[in-house]
Amino acid sequence: MTNPFENPDGSYFALINDEGQYSLWPAWAEIPAGWTVAFGEDTREACLEHIETNWTDMRPKSLIQAMGE
Amino acid sequence: MSPASPASPADRAVGPRGQLEDILPLSPLQQGLYFHAVFDEAAPDVYTAQLALDLEGPLDADRLRRAVARLLERHPNLRASFRQRVNGEPVQLVHRRVEVPWREISGRDPEAVAAEERARRFDLTRPPLLRVALVRTGPARNRLIFTNHHILLDGWSTPLLAAELLALYTGAEPPPAPPYKDYLAWLVRQDRGAAGDAWKRALRGLDGPTLVAPDLAGRPPAEPGRVRAHLSEDLTARLTAVLRSRSLTLNTAVQGAWALLLALLTGRDDVVSGCTVSGRPAELPGVERMIGLFINTLPVRVRLRPEETLAGLLTRLQAEQAELLPHHHLGLADIQRLNGSGPLFDTMTVLENYPLDASAAEVGDGLRLMGAGGNDATHYPLALAVVPGGRLSLRLDHRPDVFPRTAALSLLDRLSRLLKAVAADPDLPLSRLDLLSGEERALVGAEAVPGGEAPAGTADATIVSAFAEQVERTPDAEAVAGDGISLTYAELNGRANRLAHRLIELGVGPETPVAVLLERSPEVIVTTLAIAKAGGTYVPVHHGYPPDRMSWVMADTGAPVLVTDREPGFAHAAAVVRVDSAAVPGADGGTGDGEVRYVPEYDPHVRVHPDQLLYVIYTSGSTGTPKGVAVRHRDVLALAADHRWSGRHRRVLMHSPHAFDASTYEIWVPLLTGGAVVVAPPGELDPAALARLTAEHRLTALFLTTALFNLVAEEAPGTFGALAELLTGGEAASPAAMRRVRESCPDTVLGHVYGPTETTTYATYHAVTRTHDAAPPIGRAMDGMRAHVLDRFLRPVPPGAIGELYLSGAGLARGYLGRPGLTAERFVACPYGGGRMYRTGDLVRWTGDGELEYVGRADFQVKIRGFRIELGEIESVLSRHPSVAQVSVAVHDNRLVAYVVPAAGADTGTAAVEEPADAGRAPVRGLRDFARTVPVGELRDFAGETLPEYMVPQVVLGLDALPLTPNGKVDRAALPKPDISASGRPPQTPEEERLCRLFSEVLGLDRVGADDGFFDLGGDSIAVIQLVSRARREGLEISPREVFASQTVEALVRGGSSGREMLLPLRAAGAASPLPPLFCVHPGAGLGWPYSGLLRHLGPEQPVYAFQARVLSEPDYTAPSIEAMARDYLACLRRVQPHGPYRLAGWSMGGLIAHAMAVELRERGEEVALLAILDAYPHPVRRNAPDEREVLSELLAAAGYRGTGETEDIVAFVQAQGGRYATLDEPTLLAVYRNYRNGVKISQEYEPRIFEGDVLFVTAAHGREADSPTAAEWKPYVTGMIEDHMVACDHESMLNPGPAAEIAALLGAALRRREP
Repeated sequence: MTNPFENPDGSYFALINDEGQYSLWPAWAEIPAGWTVAFGEDTREACLEHIETNWTDMRPKSLIQAMGE
Repeated sequence: MSPASPASPADRAVGPRGQLEDILPLSPLQQGLYFHAVFDEAAPDVYTAQLALDLEGPLDADRLRRAVARLLERHPNLRASFRQRVNGEPVQLVHRRVEVPWREISGRDPEAVAAEERARRFDLTRPPLLRVALVRTGPARNRLIFTNHHILLDGWSTPLLAAELLALYTGAEPPPAPPYKDYLAWLVRQDRGAAGDAWKRALRGLDGPTLVAPDLAGRPPAEPGRVRAHLSEDLTARLTAVLRSRSLTLNTAVQGAWALLLALLTGRDDVVSGCTVSGRPAELPGVERMIGLFINTLPVRVRLRPEETLAGLLTRLQAEQAELLPHHHLGLADIQRLNGSGPLFDTMTVLENYPLDASAAEVGDGLRLMGAGGNDATHYPLALAVVPGGRLSLRLDHRPDVFPRTAALSLLDRLSRLLKAVAADPDLPLSRLDLLSGEERALVGAEAVPGGEAPAGTADATIVSAFAEQVERTPDAEAVAGDGISLTYAELNGRANRLAHRLIELGVGPETPVAVLLERSPEVIVTTLAIAKAGGTYVPVHHGYPPDRMSWVMADTGAPVLVTDREPGFAHAAAVVRVDSAAVPGADGGTGDGEVRYVPEYDPHVRVHPDQLLYVIYTSGSTGTPKGVAVRHRDVLALAADHRWSGRHRRVLMHSPHAFDASTYEIWVPLLTGGAVVVAPPGELDPAALARLTAEHRLTALFLTTALFNLVAEEAPGTFGALAELLTGGEAASPAAMRRVRESCPDTVLGHVYGPTETTTYATYHAVTRTHDAAPPIGRAMDGMRAHVLDRFLRPVPPGAIGELYLSGAGLARGYLGRPGLTAERFVACPYGGGRMYRTGDLVRWTGDGELEYVGRADFQVKIRGFRIELGEIESVLSRHPSVAQVSVAVHDNRLVAYVVPAAGADTGTAAVEEPADAGRAPVRGLRDFARTVPVGELRDFAGETLPEYMVPQVVLGLDALPLTPNGKVDRAALPKPDISASGRPPQTPEEERLCRLFSEVLGLDRVGADDGFFDLGGDSIAVIQLVSRARREGLEISPREVFASQTVEALVRGGSSGREMLLPLRAAGAASPLPPLFCVHPGAGLGWPYSGLLRHLGPEQPVYAFQARVLSEPDYTAPSIEAMARDYLACLRRVQPHGPYRLAGWSMGGLIAHAMAVELRERGEEVALLAILDAYPHPVRRNAPDEREVLSELLAAAGYRGTGETEDIVAFVQAQGGRYATLDEPTLLAVYRNYRNGVKISQEYEPRIFEGDVLFVTAAHGREADSPTAAEWKPYVTGMIEDHMVACDHESMLNPGPAAEIAALLGAALRRREP
């Protein structure tokens, strides 16, 4: 079974939620509630590269605030 | 044509011009059927077809019979028999005349007759392959049952045949149909090459067959069951209209819907099914009137694309199929051969657009056809027939042994819903197609309800706050226990606080990673807690990691501090905190006892947020580097708060490696619920050690990896009877092991757990309460967690269908430390209830009860010994070696096998690829079948430099090339199974023979040589434990350490079992001996073998063990006291017999030790059924220390030595005895002497305690003096009776043959008396 997140030739989005967390997401699928498109649609590789570049602090936003930074 | 006389068909077939009219080839489908029919001649032939006609009105049976005969005259192919030519090619022989078997029956149930007719097998060599029965069912009612082998004619032919038969009955002679021979000739004219190319194109890139019953091979054919469904008239009309508006055929819709159903059933998105086509070529004149076998079953391949709509899919499918239409004449076998594959499918569909007109029809002469039915079987597990009409009719034939009736009905139901979806909204994208019924949706919890509710009371808590509350509540309760270990909550808190302060000083703050490298000990808990208190994140590393991996982890986390109990031995830039006794005073972290002067014990009160990271555990990563799973405080709290633990997990054994996430359960579940963590001693635990810990520390729960669980189940399934709960999981569970443990431990809850590290140890749980044929389910999601089983369109799948498991809610880790891309790939947006879900890569399915069943992996991740391993990581490491061009790693029989294609030029005899001559490397054998040699030892060493030991392939095979699938991927199924056989020297002694046999049993090999290395043959640490415990059952005492050190049988015999072991099995307890063993304790010299004199007289069923002094195996050892010896021996004793009643005997000093052992056993609550003391007395008085000669004479007298007493002479005698005693060289004899002297000293110091029980005493009657002590000296130390027997011998010769017989008789009687 090819997993929808593992298609090297597929089209993807990079989604982001309120906590600043990212998710790879197949472009054909409906975007789940609470998430918005941060990047794409583009290749899987491009989406992951976007995420690597932009998700530099992997703590959720609420925690970053609570930890006072 | 006259009615036939009763002669055999063969006789009748002989005509004036010879009996044969023609010899014809077979059509492709006939060939297929021929093969199936002759394949298993004993099984029922499932290719028997039947036509039944209900006739009302006056019937002339003879006329009907003549009509049947006429039918056969008109159609030569109905007179065919089938044989194979000498060259194997099958042919059909058309006989000139054949007799139709005809039966007339009245007064019987026509269905029963029909079944009878079907049950009789046709012999393909005896024509005709049809038979007729006429059943009188009423005054003017008959049923004609026409039964034939499918090889003669197909379903399209039957209405033609019925119509023709009835016409012939009335005397009409319909125009002749073209003969079947014309069709066979047409077949020969077709361009097979072009057809082959077309089919190859159609199947290119197909990744394996689509099988709903892949395990069917070898099972006998089964009579199919049949279920039916109808679409309503309204729905049929709407479907027809929609299809017409899109220019789609009904057949396309059926094939498309069937493909969607198959995708769901098999979890594939590229599916193939069979489709029966009419096979009647339009260009053949009169083809529509021909009777014979034309149909063909051809593969229909459907690739599903999530972005496509239903109509889009069907339009594409129809176009693809149209291209294949001119090529329908090619047989399925040919197509499969072209594709280089076996069977492509095991399901089929057929659109039956040849309905028999079942409505009443006038035949003539007052006879009416009232109805017609048929029975047409296939051998497929699922075969769908769709019959068009005002109400579309669906008929599903199913193998009831694969799909029971209810399953078949639910398939039809789902198919109806799919067709309904096409009618309702053909433009719906496939990814939004709802496949579930309302009930199913409820069962699998697919409603969009908010997930991730943390269990009550954990929302704002952290490990630190929850632990602090527990300390408040139960400061004096035991928090940490173990052998010689006991810490209360307050004590643990104090020690953790001190270390926390030290860590804070070193700069540890919120989320600072702190590496932990510790041997299993209470320090693990103290350290873990201290890091959490400091706000930091603990990163446990395993001492089995090679230095490179350690350094890599240190660098990857950037941990500024390493807490350890040893010299690290690898490169790092961290500050080291030593928590062991070797710590430098003053620089110490202060967790030891009493040595801390300046570190405060109060709580450091660092503010910690529940979302902060508690730990990072590294797991194998497919890209070649491990990945650190970052787990939050919140996640661990959710695990600990699960309602399932309540009450049963009070005292939990900590024995899993700290770097393995089972330790999360082992530490935090008891500590956060007021229980105690029982710390196992370091090293591998075998079943006996687990049993001891369970009993001694009153464990209530523990977790075992699948491998260890299976081992315990095999060796000692009753071990855990006292536990409230035993958890196991990690790999595919053995149903047999589960059953054994359940039966042996009826009061213990057996929890089957599943969970990736990413969702905090356990994600699902199932209490095993019944016997399962297969592995039990992995159960339901833990509290606060939700399980989603989704197909590749991210749609929830119904029960029974395979999907990938996604987990959301409580316990979901933050992600992979410092790996945002990887985290975003695996922790993805959740469409069901919001938040994120973790994509496990595990394939599962829902049961009908809403539990999950594990099916397998979606990728190349495997589990070995409970460790999750990405094969890709191993491949990636090996491929860096210069001699490797290509590599693929697979698992065979739980062994990691690397398949290596050497780099060009690397196999031309250069030193780099020669098998190293270094015998110490002991290369894996089994290479001789393969063309290429690879540097096995070098590759394994290379892998071991960066990979932990459990990831180093045990077997390396050289190949010329890796086998590839048609679309160019490594065909893992085609990788050769390694021939792991040993070729070492044959065993030479009985001991070697025994061990070689045990090696081969444990390793699953045919034979093992005495110099073959255990680990080179695929042994691992679980296999070691298995070996040790099997050996022990056979009376061979070897320790895991010895196996690790010795590796070969030869070395084990030489070093491990020299006759000097502490527990000498004189006659081992085995499965064969029903009696509990007698344990004898050595006299002063320390040797146990003098007791062998008792064996003969105790009888062959009585197992006897003798304890021997530790000094024999450890020459520098000095026993501090009799009690210490007793305790030492008891640990060993309980490995052979975990619980009482025990039977002990001791001669001389052995009597004192046996007494001390008996006292100790009683104090531990064990029963002692026999304590026999042979001429030993408390407080022995010796005027002088014995000299060397005196000791040796005692020793040697017992051995039968009657020589001069000179040392040289003695050594020569001992060595002449051969066998194990030959190794008692002079230094050993001197060790024995030292032991004797020490024994005298500690015997005098021994102050016996009181033994609660009776004593059997034997007094040596000779050599006594007036003031010699008597049995009465024991009175103060024995509460029960002392039964004193006199034997006529002196103290030194008690175990010489004569007295030994007498003593054995006494012991034997006592043993029998005290039998349970």
